[in-house]
Amino acid sequence: MVKKISLSLSKIKHSYNNKDFILNDINLDVSEGEIVAILGSSGCGKSTLLRLISGLEKLNHGEIEIFGKTVANRDFSIPPNHRNVGLVLQEKVLFPHLSVIENVKFGIKGKNIFRTKKALDLLNLFRVNQYVNSYPNNISGGEQQRVAIARAIAPDPQILLMDEPFASLDEDLRMDLRHETKKILNNNNITCILVTHDIEDANSMADRIIKLKDGQIDD
Amino acid sequence: MFYNSLFENLLKILPIFLFLIFVTPVVLVLFSLFYEYSENWFHLYNYVLNEYIINSIFLIFGVSFFVLLIGVLSSWLVTYYDFAGKSFFEWALILPLAVPPYILAYTFTEIFDTYGSANILLNNIFLLDDKKVFFPNVRNIYGAIAVFSFTLYPYVYLVSRMAFINQSISIIEAGRVLGLSRVGTLFKLSIPLIRPAIFAGLALVIMETLSDFGAVEHFAIPTFTTGIFRTWYGMYDLNTAMQLSSLLLIFVIIFLVIERISRSKASFVSSNSLYKKYNVIKLKGYNSIFAMLFCFTPVFMGFILPIIELINWTINYKLDFFNKDFIESSFNSLLLAIIAALLCTAISFLINFSARLHGNKFLSFLSSTLTLGYGVPGLILAIGITQLLTFIDNYVQFFHFNFIFTGSLIGLIIAYIIKSYALSNSSIESGFQRVSSSLDDVSKTLNISGIKLMYKIHLPLVKTGLLTSILLVGSEVIKELPATLILRPFNFETLAVSAYNYASEERMYEAAAPSIAIVIVGLLPIIILSRMIKSSRPGEALW
Repeated sequence: MVKKISLSLSKIKHSYNNKDFILNDINLDVSEGEIVAILGSSGCGKSTLLRLISGLEKLNHGEIEIFGKTVANRDFSIPPNHRNVGLVLQEKVLFPHLSVIENVKFGIKGKNIFRTKKALDLLNLFRVNQYVNSYPNNISGGEQQRVAIARAIAPDPQILLMDEPFASLDEDLRMDLRHETKKILNNNNITCILVTHDIEDANSMADRIIKLKDGQIDD
Repeated sequence: MFYNSLFENLLKILPIFLFLIFVTPVVLVLFSLFYEYSENWFHLYNYVLNEYIINSIFLIFGVSFFVLLIGVLSSWLVTYYDFAGKSFFEWALILPLAVPPYILAYTFTEIFDTYGSANILLNNIFLLDDKKVFFPNVRNIYGAIAVFSFTLYPYVYLVSRMAFINQSISIIEAGRVLGLSRVGTLFKLSIPLIRPAIFAGLALVIMETLSDFGAVEHFAIPTFTTGIFRTWYGMYDLNTAMQLSSLLLIFVIIFLVIERISRSKASFVSSNSLYKKYNVIKLKGYNSIFAMLFCFTPVFMGFILPIIELINWTINYKLDFFNKDFIESSFNSLLLAIIAALLCTAISFLINFSARLHGNKFLSFLSSTLTLGYGVPGLILAIGITQLLTFIDNYVQFFHFNFIFTGSLIGLIIAYIIKSYALSNSSIESGFQRVSSSLDDVSKTLNISGIKLMYKIHLPLVKTGLLTSILLVGSEVIKELPATLILRPFNFETLAVSAYNYASEERMYEAAAPSIAIVIVGLLPIIILSRMIKSSRPGEALW
């Protein structure tokens, strides 16, 4: 069966100063449910690519499509809240004034009873259900990152974007979380773009690895 | 060696001694609740106390609503959006801090009264024969709400702006990706995250509103402060005035506690240490005009309009601006400002140095308790200090000491120091925090300690903080009205007292000269504040 293209990047060029292009002619198609790792050193443009896909950065040149729908080109850009993507970052960006369950419920739409049940299911899945009413400052870094991934998956995003999600964790925790995350993504058929500089992250998570060098895909 | 240890021991005693001087006036006022209650008290209780309480609460709610609306939204606009005049509004929104509420009240009445400048101007423009009245009367509680809102919103603007600047962009971006619009992130993330900081600013506004005397007196609104003043100076009943003050003080203490708790919680606002460059959104068309008008209105009402009116008084009525009275009151204000600023800065420096030198938590606790003095209304301080000085006078006369403290400059200076210690302490404390403790350790190995350590190492390193403190305290002293009015020596006029006296006799045009001088001096801390905000965001300069 031919899988649908969930994300299509065509001729992406991007610069912050209209001179030095941080991304230069990126073309990429990602199938539905596929996990693609983008590997590269610091400053090669991989985080910028995620910000462009999520809509946090406006595109200079090229086009981005999500499930066949153009979400950004040089003339217009759909705001991030209407793109249906999830984002997980390296640094802890849980909302510090909300409890763990409130964080996970944040992006879920619908009645409260449904939102609570879904959030609890996800917290259970990521084995952090014992911290439902705790606040982010009161749980460990690894647990915070589990909650962050649960929060990103909770609104059923069409694509999950992960920017060095395991970088701040110790080795044992990283292995555990990679394994769990991959399992959940596969079971739920979620497309994922994983940006990392760690070859281990890429090898253990991704169906396909793409190397980015000086703003271009390195064949 | 002997002098060094004497100096270090003196440093230990100084904060305790000052603590007693600072606290005694407040305790004396509170203690009055246990005195006998006079007929005047029962008269106040039966006929006017309800009015004082209702008016004060109405003022608090009205002012809180408007300062939150103006302060939070304007800081959000100038932090996250680019629109016409944004770089001007970033600092101009603080300008109304230079205008004390009583001066805005004086100018508002002259602008908006039936025969005020605004009505005359509009009648002339539209060539109306009938003198039409375009503006509602401002000499009421609604006018007072407007006056306090337009002069005090910068407290909320400043704390919100600092909190927005230091807010983690990643958290806001996470909210956007999770489905929130830009406005949604403001109400669901940005404001809840900076809520403690906003409460701290709001508590300051409420304390200032409750403490004000000049504006409410000019608008003839019965509140606690006008009631206290009338009871003392109208009924000559100091005891009842103190009992009334105690009630106000209890109100103020509640807000002081809220402010302190909010400040301690405010730290989580910047717990996330990711400082990326903001994606400042450029507003276009109507949105840009709306943002500009929203920011311009409070600057216009709180600063530009009163300044225009003050200049109008001065120019149109050909006042002899630098007359003898003005020069005399300026000299007096300057003298008081210099003495109080130098003393307050020296005390604050010595206490901070002592706390650092001895690493003593008790001294730090005393210092932070002394900072609570800014919240005590000037009127209450004046009453408490008068009581204290009367007691001291009785005591020293017993020893045939030929000096009367009551009615001297001493009471006034004590009041200023108590009111301004927090300002001075914040600048000096942050100066000390920037001096690495390793420097102290190295100095000790070089046999530099005690008094030598103070003037060879710390004094030069915190000199910017000292200068800032002198400017901030000096400017605050020149603006202070109620304490000056009560504690000044007989016939001793200052700029604030002159402005008050002229305004209370409806000689508004003569109030122009002292009022302008007060506003100009009030601009000093604003320049300092703008510089502080400029350098507040770690990582990348915002402007």
